[in-house]
Amino acid sequence: MPEPPSAGPPPRAPELDAAATIAAGSPRAQAAAALVGALAKAARAFTLYDPGNTLVRQFIGDYRAKADAATAQGPVTLEVKPFEMALGTEVVYREEDRERSLAFKLFRDGVRKLTFGRGVTVDELVRLLQILALRFVGIRQAEDDVVTLLRKAEFRGITFVAVEGYAPEDEDPEEGLRRRGGEPPADFDTPFPRLPPPGPIAWAELPADALATLRGEEAPEALSRAGLKLAAELVAWAARGALPPGEVGQFCGELRDYLLADRELGLLAMLADLAQRQPPGQLRDELLRGLADPRLLEAVLASLPQEGGELPPEAARLVPFVPAAAVLERLAGEEVGGRQAALLGVVAARLPADAEVVAARLGGLPSAHVRSLLRILAQRAPEWGDRASLSLLGHADPALRLEALRALAASSQQIPSAPLVKLLEDDDEALRIAAAQALEHHGDTAAARAVADSLTGRKSYSRAEAAVLGRTLGALHAGAALRLFDGWLEHKRKLLGVLRVGEHEELLRWAAVAGLGAIPGVEAEQRLEAVAKWADEALRRHVHATGARRRAEGRRNG
Amino acid sequence: MDELLQAQEDLARALGRARVGEDRDLAQRVREAGEQVAHLLSGLLKLTRVHAPENRAFDAPVAEFGRALSALVELLGTVHLVTVEDQIYVNDVRIRIEGKAGSRDLGTELRRHDTGGLSFHAPLPDPSVRALVRALAAAAEGEAKRSALLGRLQAEGVTAVEPAGIFRFRLEEGEDKRSPDDVVRRVLGLVTETSANLSAGRPLNPLPLRRAILAVLDAGLGAPAFWGGFPAQAAPHALHALEVATVSLATARAAGFPASFLQDLGVAALVHDAGYLSPGIGTGQSAFARHSLEGARVVLRQRGFQEAKVRRLRAVLEHHRDFATPNARPSPGGAILRLAEDYVNVTRLYGTQVLRADALGALVKGGGTLYHPVLSQVLVNTLGRHPPGTLLELEDGRYARVAAPARGPELWDRPLVRPLDPRTRELMAEVIDLARGPRIRRAVPG
Repeated sequence: MPEPPSAGPPPRAPELDAAATIAAGSPRAQAAAALVGALAKAARAFTLYDPGNTLVRQFIGDYRAKADAATAQGPVTLEVKPFEMALGTEVVYREEDRERSLAFKLFRDGVRKLTFGRGVTVDELVRLLQILALRFVGIRQAEDDVVTLLRKAEFRGITFVAVEGYAPEDEDPEEGLRRRGGEPPADFDTPFPRLPPPGPIAWAELPADALATLRGEEAPEALSRAGLKLAAELVAWAARGALPPGEVGQFCGELRDYLLADRELGLLAMLADLAQRQPPGQLRDELLRGLADPRLLEAVLASLPQEGGELPPEAARLVPFVPAAAVLERLAGEEVGGRQAALLGVVAARLPADAEVVAARLGGLPSAHVRSLLRILAQRAPEWGDRASLSLLGHADPALRLEALRALAASSQQIPSAPLVKLLEDDDEALRIAAAQALEHHGDTAAARAVADSLTGRKSYSRAEAAVLGRTLGALHAGAALRLFDGWLEHKRKLLGVLRVGEHEELLRWAAVAGLGAIPGVEAEQRLEAVAKWADEALRRHVHATGARRRAEGRRNG
Repeated sequence: MDELLQAQEDLARALGRARVGEDRDLAQRVREAGEQVAHLLSGLLKLTRVHAPENRAFDAPVAEFGRALSALVELLGTVHLVTVEDQIYVNDVRIRIEGKAGSRDLGTELRRHDTGGLSFHAPLPDPSVRALVRALAAAAEGEAKRSALLGRLQAEGVTAVEPAGIFRFRLEEGEDKRSPDDVVRRVLGLVTETSANLSAGRPLNPLPLRRAILAVLDAGLGAPAFWGGFPAQAAPHALHALEVATVSLATARAAGFPASFLQDLGVAALVHDAGYLSPGIGTGQSAFARHSLEGARVVLRQRGFQEAKVRRLRAVLEHHRDFATPNARPSPGGAILRLAEDYVNVTRLYGTQVLRADALGALVKGGGTLYHPVLSQVLVNTLGRHPPGTLLELEDGRYARVAAPARGPELWDRPLVRPLDPRTRELMAEVIDLARGPRIRRAVPG
């Protein structure tokens, strides 16, 4: 059962308070004034608020309640004048500001009388409001005005009298017939195709169901499918070279907007398929370009469960048309893990096409997303992934620099070592370690020297850093490393035992052991065994761990 | 769901759809350029109080006016600048003049010459703009002030500007009752103007056509003015468009289509042959083969997706398509246009040899292959045993032409006719109802 209309006081909206209602005399005029005032406010509300705004709903409720009250005793016929509306001799609405005036908008389009019948339905009230709202918002003025829209609506409970808005006082009846150029060829529509010989004609009862089917094909709810069918035909014409691809792409883009407004995900997916089915070429490019739009993301996301998860198949078919920039923007504000994963999946599907956009936007995202995106970039667009990582090395946020270094370390592409070397001097140990790890894969002789300098030049760092630097040194330049390691691991004894070494020398030994682990061959292995014989407990454990790692890597590398 | 919430959602969706259907860019450009033209013209007239139009002070605003007008002509074709009381419209788009007193005075300036508007048929070079300003700023002359203004413009070589009469808002419904003859002239004029604009590559402006279709429907499709005795000076293609529109509308109405469909179908019928106006379309068979698709391109150029455009586009694209085309059966709009156009063409091309009833008989025979089988019967029911325009020999020896479509099943074979003057063979004004009058002896081709 429908809820009763709002019975409370009219909604307050300061911007609309000036909407013109006037103090009418008789009770019927007062009720009519309240109806027109509520209608005008509700229609104007769409110029000020989003249609989904709560205030708009209140205005609609108020309008409906006022309409019920005004028509309770019988029809309300309002005469429309340029700035006023009157019930009989009583003015019930006056607004002289043309931009705000409901009367002027109706009058300008030619409406001269408007009657609300007794028992006018909510549906009709809402459709009237819709027409007026369209005029207040001022859209589609080239196609329709109030009169054409009212005529289309075929109201039963609302009637109106309309004239043409303005007309010449005197008119030359033949003026319009003057030739102005622009005529079809004289032989238009010829040669006329052959028709069958005529048969007899007679009046016949028409089959109601066949006519109903015909009318159904043109019903408003069939528009989306009709549009899609038309798009397919236009694409087919364009594929044959009979229509410019750009014009068809434009139409498909317009259809996409309509389907989006109507939330027709399935039909959107069919439209997307239409583009995807085209062979490579200008038409396909135009269609893909014409269909891509950030607003598709909303349709895709609307199909996702609140907690995230797999995209429904029709939504997945739309993913190639969602620009990654829109997804990244959305990703930054998304808190639900499952939906984050879905968004990252959308980005992945947009690569490598949108790699540049993704790379350019990484700097503004949280490090966790950057990590994921760099991983995705590395898989789908490695060149752009490395480029993005290198540019992030200069970012102010150490967390992003760290993610970039990790991504570079994992890259199989060739990476310049200079920016990595520079980071060996960073204040942040985690960054230095990550830089050294990246250099293990992407360094050169010059980098080896820098690594060695980093080990010898600084006096204080952690064993972890020492190990990574040592390993990098061993990997980059085995010969030079062995010479250095031999020096650092020289076994010095004093008369009564092992000579205690300083902290820095200890770190160098730590580095050397780790570095030997990265150098292939028996020589390095023998050196490790030799160290194990004289090393203290901690260093011996380090030697063993390094040996184990070396063996594991050996097995892995065959 | 809460009824109000549902209503709100419906409204939001309707607005969303409408926004999608809007050619925002075009509307905005028309409004901006229109405002510029109106304001600059007003400013130029004011400037004449200080300087003569040849003065250097006019150089910049004259050039600016010329550019703005040129942009508008490019967009709209003929630019109709209309002042109605204190309002200004450019091709039906109201120009914002709030807070711009100068523009408000434009109407007053024009009214001195008994003029309410100016139609610009082409862009104006600088000397013509100065001549226009000079003519408007001069004192009004004689009794026929508007004619004098036109004469002055033509004497100065400004042939692309045409003054229009004074406009006013229509106040009462009675004022708007145009006769069917007026409506016919108006439709023919609009088709002529629209063709000229489309031919020049300008976008289609559907609103005036839609209002003209409303006028046709209001005047009543049964009115004899829609079925014969058209103005002799009308362009053949405009007449053809009108006839296809009236036959289409009568068919669609008889098939029970709603008002919104009738409006869209009527507009489509008026522009269905727009493809013939495409550059390089040629003549004969090749033009015939290409014009439907080229016409669709004309409609396609209108930006935005909306019901009216889709209907128009399909109808124009399919208006020569056979009903039984595999996998591409025409839409109802296309099928109705096909039927109406073929009927009108048979009568136009073979009317002297073939009876209109036989033309209908051929269309019925083609039902199911060339034509929608039900629609062809709808057309037969609508037009009658003796379709409008049929030449009849009456039992009393007079000749007459059928003046209107059938009035229902009972009177299906007894139409309204207009007798021919026996001496001149011209149609007479008298209308005879054959339900009461003489019997029909025979129908004659011609």
